[in-house]
Amino acid sequence: MRGTWIIFRREIGQYLVSPVAYLIAAAFLFLTGFLFNNDLVTSVTVRAASPAVVPAFLSFALVFFAPVLTMRMLAEERREGTLELLLTAPVRDSDIVVGKFLGAWFYYSLLLALTLVYQVILVAITQPDLGHAISAYIGIWLYGGATLAVGLFFSAITENQIVAAFLSTAALLVLYLGGLAGQIVANVELARVINQLTLQGHFVSSFAYGLVRAEDVAYYAGLIVIMLHITMRVVESHRWRA
Amino acid sequence: MIEVSNLTKVFGTHLAVDSISFEARPGEVVGILGPNGAGKTTTMRMLTGFMPPTSGEAKVAGFDIFRDSLEVRRHVGYLPETVPVYPDMTVYGYIKFWAELRGMRRARRRVEEVIEQVGLQDRRRSLIRNLSKGMRQRLGLAQAIVHNPDVIILDEPTIGIDPQQVIEVRESVRALGENHTVLFSTHILSEAEQVCDRVLIIHQGRIVAEGAPANLRSKLQPHPRLYVVIGGTTPENALQLLRQIDGVESVIPQGEGFILQTQTGQDIRAAVSAHVTHSGCQLLELRPVAMTLEDIFLDIVGRPH
Repeated sequence: MRGTWIIFRREIGQYLVSPVAYLIAAAFLFLTGFLFNNDLVTSVTVRAASPAVVPAFLSFALVFFAPVLTMRMLAEERREGTLELLLTAPVRDSDIVVGKFLGAWFYYSLLLALTLVYQVILVAITQPDLGHAISAYIGIWLYGGATLAVGLFFSAITENQIVAAFLSTAALLVLYLGGLAGQIVANVELARVINQLTLQGHFVSSFAYGLVRAEDVAYYAGLIVIMLHITMRVVESHRWRA
Repeated sequence: MIEVSNLTKVFGTHLAVDSISFEARPGEVVGILGPNGAGKTTTMRMLTGFMPPTSGEAKVAGFDIFRDSLEVRRHVGYLPETVPVYPDMTVYGYIKFWAELRGMRRARRRVEEVIEQVGLQDRRRSLIRNLSKGMRQRLGLAQAIVHNPDVIILDEPTIGIDPQQVIEVRESVRALGENHTVLFSTHILSEAEQVCDRVLIIHQGRIVAEGAPANLRSKLQPHPRLYVVIGGTTPENALQLLRQIDGVESVIPQGEGFILQTQTGQDIRAAVSAHVTHSGCQLLELRPVAMTLEDIFLDIVGRPH
């Protein structure tokens, strides 16, 4: 536990001193702000402004954002040799992986919290469905955790940050667009199963509509647990190599 | 402090460490000497709890490295061969991080103390990316000693830094030996001699020689060799002349002079000098030939025990 906390704190510190993290935050806010403004302008005359517009956009953007947040985490430790030192510190391998994951998730949560300013604006000018907004935010928060766990795994398997980012983006894209494969399958049951396996399948038709379902929470939580578990095994495997 | 018995590590089909046994008492500086690839790093990695042994046992600070790995790691400070650093951290933050990760609470004072001990007090707020290689080496040493470990393991701490810094590092290792058990590896013979109370020589994963540096040298160089240059005669005559000296086993021409292979344990320099001058020739040069580590290994490994 103590080890997890110390690793977590270092990761947060790393984000706060890294220019890349601030650039990501700026891009994050610029894009979501742009989108929110657009939605607001078009909805004025047509419909009520959607409180889920930012989370819905993030469900796609995270495919590219999450790998940037996690690519450094284990790849750099390996390249600089600090992983060897971490593995000789009196902490368990799981402390290292979980501490790093929580660090990334916490930083993402901060970014997500910044976008709450749009909800404040909505409340100030209209009467949005707050339940809808809360559901969408819970959903995208979990969704973000799952994408970061995938990113962390790919950071563990290579020393090269770029490779880590590329591989995790590719994997996330498959998880994101997997539903398309379901659409060209004749078998309805199979299509349903495929859709249930994708990141999208547990977000667009539930959280994004204000629906919090146990199965969707379980999907993201399960994805996080599985990816972290595999990552721990990968980290542990360094103990067995020459 | 360190008890190793029959420790073995196999990577696939490669036998990296072959059943080594040794001991290090509290307050002892033990050097592991060996050429690259001899198994020094692998041995150290097993003792730090980084990798489990294939077979055999080892206890560090009284804890078994396999069963009580976490306890072992609490009592060991380790500096790997390439100093592992986080370039974006400050000197202070880096040392504090390792102190806390190794279980120290309220580490602030101790961190300041260690920073002073390694002479980085002027750079405590600097980012590590801006430090020179020698400073990074000292920083690496600082993280290894900050939690006051019983055992300090240093993997080739003097590699790749300039001579002045090498001397500093050797002095710090000596100083550390007063309060800690230090295990350190090197492939420089003279370094091991200067710093260690005891030296283990490892070759191809096995300990081939062990002992205090002074004893080891005589054990290692049972046949001291001399290089002699003689003036005022032809090379053929000089060769004849040298062969007549008592205690000379063989004479090999080399360059403008000769290498004398002497018989076991005799210092024949006086005899050589006297013999050459009496015969009317001039002794231009006479010096012992230092054995390189490679020579020593060839000697040890090639000689039947």
